[in-house]
Amino acid sequence: MTNSFQTKIFNFFQKNDITNFIGVPDSTLKEFISLGLKNKKVIVTTREEEAIGIATGMCLSGSKSLVFMQNAGFANSLSTITSLVKLYKIPIIFLIGWRGYLKDDAPEHIMIGKIQPDLLKIIELPSKILTSNNWKSNCEWAIKKIQNNSSCALIVKREFHD
Amino acid sequence: MIRKDAMKIVLEQIDSEPIISANGFMSRDLFELKEKNSNFYMIGSMGLASSIGLGVALKNPRKKIFIFDGDGNIFMNLGSLVTIGYLRPKNMIHIIFDNNSHESTGGQPTASNKINISKFGHICNYKIFVVENKISLKNCLKKIKKINQSIMIVIKISKSKEKSKRVSLEPEFIKKRFMKSFNRKN
Repeated sequence: MTNSFQTKIFNFFQKNDITNFIGVPDSTLKEFISLGLKNKKVIVTTREEEAIGIATGMCLSGSKSLVFMQNAGFANSLSTITSLVKLYKIPIIFLIGWRGYLKDDAPEHIMIGKIQPDLLKIIELPSKILTSNNWKSNCEWAIKKIQNNSSCALIVKREFHD
Repeated sequence: MIRKDAMKIVLEQIDSEPIISANGFMSRDLFELKEKNSNFYMIGSMGLASSIGLGVALKNPRKKIFIFDGDGNIFMNLGSLVTIGYLRPKNMIHIIFDNNSHESTGGQPTASNKINISKFGHICNYKIFVVENKISLKNCLKKIKKINQSIMIVIKISKSKEKSKRVSLEPEFIKKRFMKSFNRKN
């Protein structure tokens, strides 16, 4: 994941009418979030559930929203996704950094990293993994999903150590 | 004063303004007392009524947005107060019906008898009101009309034995109807 890649995604969403970027910071998504902060488009919340709540309120007002988080925060969000986002059919794009993708990532990320693909399937949140080659078509797919009143997730793999 | 009595008094001051109501008996009471298009009954996602309300308030700065919250609900999402205090919406009226219990799950206690919710509100940039009876609630509702800042009203209520009927609307219907209730020009 290079700087320009995340920049392109942010610019793409802006051009496609996503006006709100709400979430809890993740180092995997650092460039994306920094750009949003610079453009004064980001709301940083205390927890991921809170971010989903705010995004829901904005969606209810006809304003399109993306919620960003690390996969640890995705685990925090399961009940909110099932009992709010899925239940009311709230169209939100989730952008999730995938820690634990590398088998030698920090220990706290290993288990959630391993079960994440299954979790997404179990809660029936359609998802795509973004790469430098496919990001555009997958982001277009996400825009279509929310136009059809459905939520979805875009996953960014953590392919480096720091 | 039980929740329903307090809610009735508050509802006398609300016409078509949006209300986001917390899960459990809160939404059930609202459903029974004043069913309307601009009610968002949050039937799941405990704790998040104030976050949803914040999202609505930020996108509709010219509308007054009411949040009907409980002590159990707000304790579950104190972080929401931090974000509200940081963003300082001027059009949010956050009402906390405080019965010192999780009434919907059987009346188990919350910490609100020892931990003062209004102090959280104070440090999070709300204008605070704490009321304990019908007269002071009515007076407070008159006063807030002139205030241009996030408002928190903590209403001390007692537990009730009454149970309102369940919200019998489909969640997707609640959403669509709520969205349609907005005049986007405002």
